[in-house]
Amino acid sequence: MNRLCMLAVTTALALLPQMATAAEKTLTVGVSDALSGGGAVYGEPQRRAINLAIEQINAGGGVHVGEDTYKLKTIEYDDKADPTEATNVARKLIDRDGVKFLMGYCCSASTGAVASIIGREDVIMLVGTAGARAITAAGNDNVFRTRPPGDYSGAAAGRFIASKGVKRLGVLATRDVALFTQYRDALIEAFEAEGGEVVALETFGGQDRDMSAQLTKLRGLEPDGYFISGYVEQVAFAYRQAYELGITAPRYGFSGGSAEQFLSVASSEALEGVWDLIAIEFNADALGDTAKAYAKAYEERWDAYPTPNSAFAYDQVYVLRDALEAAGTVELDDVKKALRNLAVPEETVLEYLPVDGKMFDPKGQAYISNGAFQFHNDKWDFVTKLPSDSAAYSAYFQTITK
Amino acid sequence: MLVDLIQQLFNGLVIGSIYTLVALGLTIIFGILGIAHFAHGSVAMFGGYLTFFFIQQFGIGLFPAMAVAMAVGALLGVVLERVAYHPVRNAPPINAFIIALGLTLIIEKANLLVFGVDQVIIPTGFDRVFNIGGVTLPELRVYILGIAAFLVVAMTILINRTWMGMAVRAVAQNRPAAILMGINVNTVSMFVFGLSSALGVAAGVLVGALFAVAPGVSGGLVVKGFAVLILGGLGSIPGAIIGGLVLGVSEAFASAFVSSAYKDVIAFLLMIGVLLIKPEGLMRRRSNR
Repeated sequence: MNRLCMLAVTTALALLPQMATAAEKTLTVGVSDALSGGGAVYGEPQRRAINLAIEQINAGGGVHVGEDTYKLKTIEYDDKADPTEATNVARKLIDRDGVKFLMGYCCSASTGAVASIIGREDVIMLVGTAGARAITAAGNDNVFRTRPPGDYSGAAAGRFIASKGVKRLGVLATRDVALFTQYRDALIEAFEAEGGEVVALETFGGQDRDMSAQLTKLRGLEPDGYFISGYVEQVAFAYRQAYELGITAPRYGFSGGSAEQFLSVASSEALEGVWDLIAIEFNADALGDTAKAYAKAYEERWDAYPTPNSAFAYDQVYVLRDALEAAGTVELDDVKKALRNLAVPEETVLEYLPVDGKMFDPKGQAYISNGAFQFHNDKWDFVTKLPSDSAAYSAYFQTITK
Repeated sequence: MLVDLIQQLFNGLVIGSIYTLVALGLTIIFGILGIAHFAHGSVAMFGGYLTFFFIQQFGIGLFPAMAVAMAVGALLGVVLERVAYHPVRNAPPINAFIIALGLTLIIEKANLLVFGVDQVIIPTGFDRVFNIGGVTLPELRVYILGIAAFLVVAMTILINRTWMGMAVRAVAQNRPAAILMGINVNTVSMFVFGLSSALGVAAGVLVGALFAVAPGVSGGLVVKGFAVLILGGLGSIPGAIIGGLVLGVSEAFASAFVSSAYKDVIAFLLMIGVLLIKPEGLMRRRSNR
């Protein structure tokens, strides 16, 4: 009997560490995003959305990978939307922290810099809001992005502006962010293909907040519509200054900022009637119940309403969870394979348009619908979806590398 | 066409008046103490944040908040002079140069720590837009021109019509002779830093009201300020006034008649042009010292 007891105790003691190990397995995710500076309006909401999704997944029992269950945790760094800083952060996460999964990445220039070196690294990079085409067009097999490239939305926007009866368009756009220049070029091409004329293309730089001179010049050319694109803070200043200059023609834009972000710069009167033509990022009216539940959870957790771009990052976490569970291992090659064959996870907020039934196309690019939103009574109203053909764009996307 | 021309002139004068305020602060320090005070832009941002804080916390108006912030800014300037620059007054110029760079980082990071990363727009309530013959004049921009003009006139009177102003000019013209005449150079240094920082704060407030106070803005301000200095003449007060306005108007006209892509290049082209033709600057006589 004593020997039996001893055997039972010994067996129990031998099993304990294994049980403890299984219960305590943690998978660390590296988050690199703009948490200060101009890009923070996109980066900080992404960081919050990632943490929200992780808390939800952990509260729901974690990620079931084969026999193991993992709890997720993050290591977070501020890349300031700066290419050098973002590259340093990536090196720190990979070399010092030993992280295998990177996510966040709101801004094109910084993300592009990391994407250019990441193909040589044993990691998987999940990109959020950064929309420069080359990030996924380069074809690294370890880069996956939830946001579609800028030109995918730009062409749809150009056709939409022409369909509203605009014949002469004045364009004011940021000149040094690939997402916006690619969107702008695709918009101009589509608009001109519909018979429209661009009266002038004016630009502004990354730190500019005074576009009065450019708007005055455009006003003098008397266009019957304006297109303004760039980061939300700059675009909001442009709308404010357009209002001060007495510009009343329809104003179309591409920035993806929340109503609160716009109103912190420009008055209701200056923004009334402005259009935002974007891939349908988070919008509770346009996306329905899942989006409403996300907004509620985000608001409860962070005491702030989610910004439109934040859902790109929220969805990244569920993408990673499903890929890990489908792979049944945390080995990178298996997870990459699982990502390539992944169906759209149930919990994702955005409305993805799968290509051949898969969330990501062969270059790791996902697509969502495009939509037209109009500012009315201090909020963005969803007006209509813009015709978007993800399969056709993806076929074209496979032929380019930048 | 004429309407657009006048509109661009107005746009340029408003921006130019802010450049002038920044450059005035830089030029009096450089002219009198020979220090390239790179931290001036960070001090300006500090003033903008402080004004926003006063308005939000105490519900006071823009002008009283700005006046208090300028007073605090002047005090900060005196502290910077005493703590950072005074100890190296007899050291090689490179020491003051490195201290200026260090101060820039310290004040910039302190702003981030105290006021956070978000951009701040100073509320003014000046939302009306006047329209005169098709030229639109936003109320806030008109006030900015007025405030800048008032500060320039006040500073000119202070420098030209007061005993302290006379002492400042004496030190600027011939420091050893001023000391021999019994002028306390230490007091003049502190006064100059106080005055410069107060002007910098005023510029920061105007930037914060018209655009925003945010991390990263100060660098651009200082670059433009130094461009104005070279344009108008290092250490020249009339040069800073004229140079600032010339730069602002040139940028606006460059956007209108050349290309907005080259707006910022204009500042540096002007600098190069002036250095080639009149190396001492637009408003400075050739030195015979």
